Amino acid sequence: MSKQINVALIGNPNTGKTSVFNALTGLNQKVGNYPGITVEKKEGICKLPRGVKAHIIDLPGTYSLNASSLDENVVIELLLNKNDKDYPDVAVVVSDVENLKRNLLLYTQIKDLQIPTVLAINMSDRMSYKGIHLDIAYLERELKTKIALISTRKGKGIDQLKELITNYKELSTEPCVNASEIDKDYFNKLRTAFPNQLLYKLWLVITQDVNFGNVNRNEVDAINSFKTKSKTDLKRLQQKETIKRYQFINNTLKKGQTIDLKSAKDLRIKLDRILTHKVWGYLIFGFILLLIFQAIYDWSSVPMDFIDSTFASLSEWTKNVMPEGAFTNLLAEGIIPGLGGIVIFIPQIAFLFLFISVLEESGYMSRVVFLMDRIMRRFGLSGKSVVPLISGTACAIPAIMATRNIESWKERLITILVTPFTTCSARLPVYLIIIALVIPEGRFLGLSYQALTLMLLYLIGFGAAVGSAWILNKVLKIKSKTFFVVEMPNYKVPLFKNVALTVLEKTKSFVFGAGKIILAISIVLWFLASYGPGDDFNNAEEIVTTQFSSENLAQEELDQKIASHKLEHSFIGIAGHAIEPAIRPLGYDWKIGIAIVSSFAAREVFVGTLATIYSVGSDEEETIKNRMAGEVNPILGGPLFNFASGISLLLFYAFAMQCMSTLAIVKRETNSWKWPAYQLVIMSAFAYVVALIAYQLLK
Amino acid sequence: MNTIIQNILVFIAVALAILFLLNKYGVLPKKKASKSKACGQDDCGCH
Repeated sequence: MSKQINVALIGNPNTGKTSVFNALTGLNQKVGNYPGITVEKKEGICKLPRGVKAHIIDLPGTYSLNASSLDENVVIELLLNKNDKDYPDVAVVVSDVENLKRNLLLYTQIKDLQIPTVLAINMSDRMSYKGIHLDIAYLERELKTKIALISTRKGKGIDQLKELITNYKELSTEPCVNASEIDKDYFNKLRTAFPNQLLYKLWLVITQDVNFGNVNRNEVDAINSFKTKSKTDLKRLQQKETIKRYQFINNTLKKGQTIDLKSAKDLRIKLDRILTHKVWGYLIFGFILLLIFQAIYDWSSVPMDFIDSTFASLSEWTKNVMPEGAFTNLLAEGIIPGLGGIVIFIPQIAFLFLFISVLEESGYMSRVVFLMDRIMRRFGLSGKSVVPLISGTACAIPAIMATRNIESWKERLITILVTPFTTCSARLPVYLIIIALVIPEGRFLGLSYQALTLMLLYLIGFGAAVGSAWILNKVLKIKSKTFFVVEMPNYKVPLFKNVALTVLEKTKSFVFGAGKIILAISIVLWFLASYGPGDDFNNAEEIVTTQFSSENLAQEELDQKIASHKLEHSFIGIAGHAIEPAIRPLGYDWKIGIAIVSSFAAREVFVGTLATIYSVGSDEEETIKNRMAGEVNPILGGPLFNFASGISLLLFYAFAMQCMSTLAIVKRETNSWKWPAYQLVIMSAFAYVVALIAYQLLK
Repeated sequence: MNTIIQNILVFIAVALAILFLLNKYGVLPKKKASKSKACGQDDCGCH
C-alpha cells in the first residue's frame, strides 16, 4: 500500500505558487472552502517517486506569519495546529528568484516552527535576463535546507522538487535564525512557563492580533507564573524580530546571490511607464476592454448557434423516440430547454475568463489596480476595491469574500455593498439574449453595435458601483484609517496550462453551480406550467374547440390555441397574471414576470425559465432565440421583445439585486441582515424606476 | 400503465427538485456535524 504525506505550498503572493501547484497536481485537484470560513481551499494529489503519494494543499499567499487578514490566518492556523488533518509533513516555500530577499522572511519564520521545509526558487528561467547568479550550495548550507531551482514556465526542476519532497525526512528542522535572541530574558521566562511547547509557536500565538480558532491564546494569559508584555512592547519586539531576520537574509544573500545589473535587460520599467501612464494607461485599458467584448461576440457566435440548434433537435428527438406522456414532456419541454438555456453561454463565458486569466497571468491586472486606485480614492474606495470589482465580473460571491484584504472597515463595507452592481457572469446570459433580440447587427468603426452595447452595460455596472460608493462614503459615518499597497509582479507570457485550468475551473463552476439550480427550477416551472386548477385548465380543449368552432382553424393552429389557453390557466399563468399589473408599466408581460421572479434564485435562470415557459405545449423544433423573437405583446401587438422593453429589461438586470446567494454572503461578511436588506430594497427599487423610465421614454 | 409510470416519474422529479431548492436556500434545517470532544481534538481541553 502506498503511503500519503501532507505537503503545504506556502509563499508570498505572485511567486507562482499556483503554477507549482498545477505542475505538481495536474488535473487531480479540487477547490473548496476552509471549514466555517469562505477562504478558498485548493488541494490536490501528486504522485511522487517510489510509490509515495502527496496530498498537496495550496495555502493562501502570505508575506509573513504575522497575520493581517483572514486569508493569512488560515496559513498560521494550519501551521500551529498539529492536530489538523492537513498539518504538513513537509512545507514547500515557493519564492521568486527576483524577490528572494522579501520571500525569505516567511521562509525563516516557517523554519522556526521546525517543520521540514524545502525552498523552491521559481522563475529560474529569468535569471539570465536579470543577471542573477545563485550559489545554491552556499544557500542550502546557510538556510539549512534543500533548494529546488525550478521554472514552472519551462517545466524545469519539478522532478527535483518531487524528489526533495519524497526525501523530506532527511531535511534539517533546525531554525536558521534564533528569534529568542531579541529578548533573551523574556523568552527564557516563556520557556520555563511552557516547557513542553515550541517557543516560536508560543511567540506567534502571543503576538498575533487575531484569535485563532484552533489555538488557544487564553492559555498563555491564564498562567499566573508568567505575565506577558504589553501590546506596545510586543509590537516593538516583533519589529526587532523582523529586523533580525532581514539582517540574516541580507548577510546570506550577500554571498549567495550576485546580480549583474549590466546584463539585466529590463523591459518592465519601459512598459510600466506606458501602461500606468495617467492618459495612455486608461486609453490602453479601454482599448483592451473593447477588444475583449468584440472577441467575445465574434468568436462565440458559431459554437453558440451550434449548441442552440443541438438542444432544439434534442428536444424534438426525445419527443419522437420516447413514448408519449408526462415524463417525456418534462424532458422535452422542461429539462432540455432549461439546460440548453445555460449550456449555450459556455463559449462566451469561457472566452471572458480566458481574457481575464491572460490579463492576470501576464501581470497587467496589477497595473490596472494601481491605475484605478487614483480614481477609486475619490469615491471612498480603496485601490484594493478594484480586485473585488473586477472579480465581480465572474461572480459577486467570491468578489465579496475578496474584500477581506481591505484593512479599513468603511472601505470594505462600501466595497461589499457596491460589488453586486458589477456585471457578473450570471447577468451575461440575460444580456446576450436580449441584446441579440433588440440590438441590430450593424457595425460602427468595425465594432458591432451588439458588442458596444455589452461593453456599455459593463461600464454602467461599474459606474453604478463607483457612483453608489461615492454616496455611501458621504452617508456612512464610520471612521477608519486607510492605506494602499500593491505588488507589481513582473510581466510574463501567460502559461497555457494555468490559463486553461482557470478557464476550465470557472466555466465548470458556472455550469455546474448554476446548472443544478436551473435544472431544479426548470422541473418545477414545467410542472407549474403544465398543471393547473379548475375547469378552465382541465377542459381547455373543449373550451377552445367550442370557442373557435365557427372559424375552421387548421389542427395545428387549434393545438396552439389550446396550449396557450392551458398555459394561461396553469398555476404559473395564474401567478404570472397576479404580478402582471406591477410589471406592465415596464413593458413586460406575465411570462417575463415569472422569469424575473424565478431568477431571484440566480440571474441566469431568467433565460432557462423563458425557454421552459415558451416550450410548454410546443411541438416545433425551435431555438430559444427564435421562440423569444416570435413572442407577441398581448396588449400592444408587435414583438414583445422590442427596443423599449429590451432596454428596460437590460437596465433592470444591470441594477437589480437578483441573487439570493449574494445576499446570504453579504449577511455572513457583515454579520448582520441590515446591510443585505438595504441592498435588496434600494437596488431593486432603483432598478424598477430606471427600467420604468427607460420603457416609458423609448416605447 | 405507461401513463401511470410517467406520472410517477414526473412527481418524483418535481418532489426531488423542490427538496433540492428548499435545501439549497436553507429552508430545510441542516444537520449539525457531531463535534467530538475526544482527546486529540483541538478543543478537548487536554492540551
